[in-house]
Amino acid sequence: MSTIKEYLTQDHGKCDELFANMEDAAAKSIESAKEAYGDFARETERHFQMEERVMFLEFEQKTGMTQGPTAIMRHEHAQMRNLIAEMGKAIEAKDKDKFFGNSETLMILMQQHNMKEEQMLYTMAQQHLSAESDRIVDMMKSMIVQ
Amino acid sequence: MEFDGLSVDQAPPISAPIRFFVTAPLFAILAGILILFSDATVLASRYSIETIVITHAITIGFLSFVMFGALFQMLPVLAGVKISKVDIISKVSYAFMLIGTFSMIFGLWLNISKLILFSSLLLGGGFLTVIVSMLIAFRSVVNVTASVRAMITSLIFAFIIVLMGMHLLASYGIGKFSDLHGLFANIHSVWAIFGFAGVLIIGVAFHVLPMFYVAPRFKRFCKQRVVWLITSGLLLWLFLNIFIESYSTIAKIWVAMFFWAFSTTVYLKLNARRRKVSDVTVWYWRSAAIFMTLGTFSWAINDYFDAKYIVIVSILIGGGFIFSIMSGMLYKIVPFLVWFHLNAKGYMSIPTMNGMINKKLATAQFILFIVSLVGFIISFFVPSILPVFAITFISSMVILEYNIVVPILIYVKTIKTKPDFDMSMFTMKVEK
Repeated sequence: MSTIKEYLTQDHGKCDELFANMEDAAAKSIESAKEAYGDFARETERHFQMEERVMFLEFEQKTGMTQGPTAIMRHEHAQMRNLIAEMGKAIEAKDKDKFFGNSETLMILMQQHNMKEEQMLYTMAQQHLSAESDRIVDMMKSMIVQ
Repeated sequence: MEFDGLSVDQAPPISAPIRFFVTAPLFAILAGILILFSDATVLASRYSIETIVITHAITIGFLSFVMFGALFQMLPVLAGVKISKVDIISKVSYAFMLIGTFSMIFGLWLNISKLILFSSLLLGGGFLTVIVSMLIAFRSVVNVTASVRAMITSLIFAFIIVLMGMHLLASYGIGKFSDLHGLFANIHSVWAIFGFAGVLIIGVAFHVLPMFYVAPRFKRFCKQRVVWLITSGLLLWLFLNIFIESYSTIAKIWVAMFFWAFSTTVYLKLNARRRKVSDVTVWYWRSAAIFMTLGTFSWAINDYFDAKYIVIVSILIGGGFIFSIMSGMLYKIVPFLVWFHLNAKGYMSIPTMNGMINKKLATAQFILFIVSLVGFIISFFVPSILPVFAITFISSMVILEYNIVVPILIYVKTIKTKPDFDMSMFTMKVEK
């Protein structure tokens, strides 16, 4: 089974693919991007919740660090959720410029966020939670998005 | 829970990298003005004072300001480490490097020996402060990736070339040149271009290209070995240069081959990227790959022409490769930092990154820059046309400065006028 780090890193790649599909669709026609946007927004929200409701909690419980890296990552999730919502509004308003303005900003924010997680937080999580790695990955896989 | 500035806790204050970014194009403009008022035939020699001054206005004033500014920002993201007292380190190194670069330019240009000696101390102090602080920060890295190894390697090269640079500059200050001056100058320039800038760019590209453009990842072999192979090539080049100079071309071809392979890989990865959106940064990556391919081959075979074309090699690699990538990066990093810091402070009604950069002006800047580079190369053979391309280069840099200043003004205006302050976004699902 994948480790926590491998599983969540692969999931970043999956979200990136969906992001590229969404931009492709929007470049062709903003109206047709609705479905691809839905796929991206849903999977990204799922990823955020896998972290916030499972992995971050386990990490915080184990290390006692509730105001450390997980708090920073939660804050950036909020920033990304806001941009994703703005992209949805741009699609509804058929405003291509607004959509790509937000998608470009989201892309950079998302990637620097992913780099921090993969470089630091996942590595730390793997070190602290290695014994429970399988259980945590199972919980993330079976989690129902709220 | 206080959210203001939380997500930037780990990152340095916006002023730490921005002060370097906003200054860099000003040195490029100064370099352009010096080219405009120089005799083109004098600039064809790499050892003329004019060439040395203009080269360093670009390499120190523009390239190193952008590279160190970016490193301040990238260390927490790419390596997960924090530079201790980052604000002070940034301010001190910036002040030293700024005054040091001006002193070097005017000291050498006007032949004022005290100013040259002063610049050697200031530049050494500024560079070593920032390099040593960053190397110390790397001691606490938890996850040593290929990018981290590349950044450490490039900083070690930087440390050595700074010491050599101080010595070389001091030689001009006192007017005495050792027998090894030429050799030191060679090592200083080759290690600066390939060991410091080249290795740093390769290391960052491992991360940036796959992530920002959803391009295929670099092969494991490439990530694990290429920096080591380039470093060994540069050490071999040093050894051959000292002991068997006639064979040094072998090491040059060795190093050139890996940079050519890297350039080709960058071009192919951009072709295969999943994210098809194309902008000025993609054009800069592509032009960098093309110029580097031409540059590496020219450098490797330059020995067969008695190093006659070294100035062209420098334009291709320094201008076409390193300068291109730094310019492209500025277009991404400056608007992002402004957006990121304002958003983290709770300002919601701010332009997106695309809204901060005028696309037409960015395109004009790119075209003028490429025209200038090609023009500089043609001017090597037709010196009389150099002033035309000095003007296109100055114009390109003025636009680049404008494109950087606009987002910064948005930041300053927003902080001053406080158009909104909406923290509702952060009322998210936080489970405790």
